[in-house]
Amino acid sequence: MKFTAVVEKELRQLIRDPKTVFMVLLMPIILTILFGYGYGGRTSFPIAIVNMDQKTGGYTLSDQLRNMFDVKAYARTREEAVELVRKGRVYAAVVIPKGFTEDMIAGRMTSLEVIYDASEPVVAQSIMQMVGVIVLQFEIWASEKFKTFSISPLFYSVYGPGAERVENFLPVLMGTLLQLVPTSLISVSVCRERERGTFEQFAMTPASRFDIILGKLVAYFIATISDVFLTILIAMLLFGVQFRGGMLDLMLLSSIFLVCSLSMGLLISVLSKNQLQAYQASIFAFIPSMLFSGMFTPVNLLSDVAKIIGHSLPLYYYLDAFKAIAFKGMNLQLLTYDLEVILIFTIIFSILSMDLLRMRVE
Amino acid sequence: MIAIEARGLTKKFGNFTAVDNLNLTVEAGLAFGLLGPNGAGKTTTIRMITGLIKPTAGTVKVYGHDVSSERSKVIEKIGYMPQKFGLYEDLTVEENMVLFGRLYGLSKSDSLQRSRELMEFLDLKEFRNRLAGKLSGGTKQRLALAVALIHDPLLLILDEPTAGVDPPIRRQFWEIFRDLNRKGKTILLTTHYMDEAENCDKLALMSSGRIIAEGSPSEVKRKAFGGDIVEIVLSKPINIDLQGVKVMEAGDGRMKLLVDDYSARVSQIIARFGPDLRDIRPVHVSLEEAFIKLMRG
Repeated sequence: MKFTAVVEKELRQLIRDPKTVFMVLLMPIILTILFGYGYGGRTSFPIAIVNMDQKTGGYTLSDQLRNMFDVKAYARTREEAVELVRKGRVYAAVVIPKGFTEDMIAGRMTSLEVIYDASEPVVAQSIMQMVGVIVLQFEIWASEKFKTFSISPLFYSVYGPGAERVENFLPVLMGTLLQLVPTSLISVSVCRERERGTFEQFAMTPASRFDIILGKLVAYFIATISDVFLTILIAMLLFGVQFRGGMLDLMLLSSIFLVCSLSMGLLISVLSKNQLQAYQASIFAFIPSMLFSGMFTPVNLLSDVAKIIGHSLPLYYYLDAFKAIAFKGMNLQLLTYDLEVILIFTIIFSILSMDLLRMRVE
Repeated sequence: MIAIEARGLTKKFGNFTAVDNLNLTVEAGLAFGLLGPNGAGKTTTIRMITGLIKPTAGTVKVYGHDVSSERSKVIEKIGYMPQKFGLYEDLTVEENMVLFGRLYGLSKSDSLQRSRELMEFLDLKEFRNRLAGKLSGGTKQRLALAVALIHDPLLLILDEPTAGVDPPIRRQFWEIFRDLNRKGKTILLTTHYMDEAENCDKLALMSSGRIIAEGSPSEVKRKAFGGDIVEIVLSKPINIDLQGVKVMEAGDGRMKLLVDDYSARVSQIIARFGPDLRDIRPVHVSLEEAFIKLMRG
């Protein structure tokens, strides 16, 4: 099979091109971290304090918390505090227990409860660290003044409305990494050969249009499939994203969509006169996908015209299925419609690319 | 056998006619040169012969197969070397050769075997693992020739194969071409080096999309001047009144004659002047002079 020779050649070229390494390996890492912190990262976190002690010890600790945090609310009961976190008013609430001052003077061990929003794992982690520092400082101060005193913080997690925020950043990320990156990467591959003159030599061999299109598709798929794994891995490890549905289903869905994006990129490449035009076309093709496929705005909230545009884009079907698996715990068998549409797009793009590719140099 | 036969070949780009009603016959086993200045239509002609561009009018047959309707048969017979280096600069010499071998349908091991042979033949062994983009001009051209030969084609079509190549390497190329001719391969090449064109068995001189003269280098020169140029030295001025002989230049005893066919007339000239003839020799005319003469009409 001649197309295997094309696959090998393309892979060699991809590996030797530093641009590929950047686009394929660094882009997902950089983007995932950027998006993750963009949605989660803060410098000053709003928290609430529940001071059930109402004595010197409690007041002193409150003051110290105020120095480090943006104390937005004072609650009277623990239940009230939990509610504030759940509603997303604050990221955490610190509960100073009754009898805190007595324990401090007597040097008895006491506890300090921190109720945090688990839907913002990055924020939660920072808050825990900061509380840890404050507790340590307070222990040293109290131990010098009275007897040896220790506080053990207890952490209690609550899911706030922020859970939506985590769910939102992933589709945006997957859309960018599985459409924009592979499409623009492959979109220059045919016209670059025309520009450099290698197509003239290639077109004189008996290799067919089928060999070129399939060979490039397979090679770029192998090169970019790591994007799927990397993104999901970073999202899970670094930002504590939890998927309800099957990992295998997510990977399979994403891989099929990746082939769809690559075939679209090839079509752009066949139609473009030069590399610049190809890059512009792939970015331009991404704009409607970004706006109307549910990347940022849910499709239900769009106007009727925008909805129709959304439904004519492969990304819409991918995101629909992705959200269903990742956050609703559905499996791929329930999403055959989305899959079918993505496959039809892939077939149309591939056939058009083969049909429109001319083995000439005009 | 006829390797290439083009009839009424025409290519128009908008209002510009790059190739104008061209007829060309290349016999198998020869080194045939398309000669002419830049913009004469040489590359366009070659690209129409290979099927890389579609003629506006006319037909081309390669070893009897029509280029537009039987392209797959034609492609197998042609080894092609484009004017601009057409190989992958980010692949090594060997990778390029093996790749093209496989694209021509050879298995991986056969392709490797064939590449090794050609590397031997064209002195490329030491560059085996070097990226094509890192080769010097002459070595790049040798690699391009090796790739053109990878599937052992009958016909080599080489567009300016020696452009930008040092004279010793150019000579080496011609030794290779001669060797290939002996093996029965046909070579069609373009060049704008007039001295190089002297090596060809046959030439077609192109200007503004047309062939203005065709034949062996000596035939082309004879056509340009209407005969052979002969210089004679006489001991005393004598009137020249021979059939088929014209005086071009006359000075005290030294004369330049235009003779319709030198080899046929030389004995007549000697007989006519007898002992008064001190010297007689054909004047070497360069193709460049012939070409300029032909261009002026």
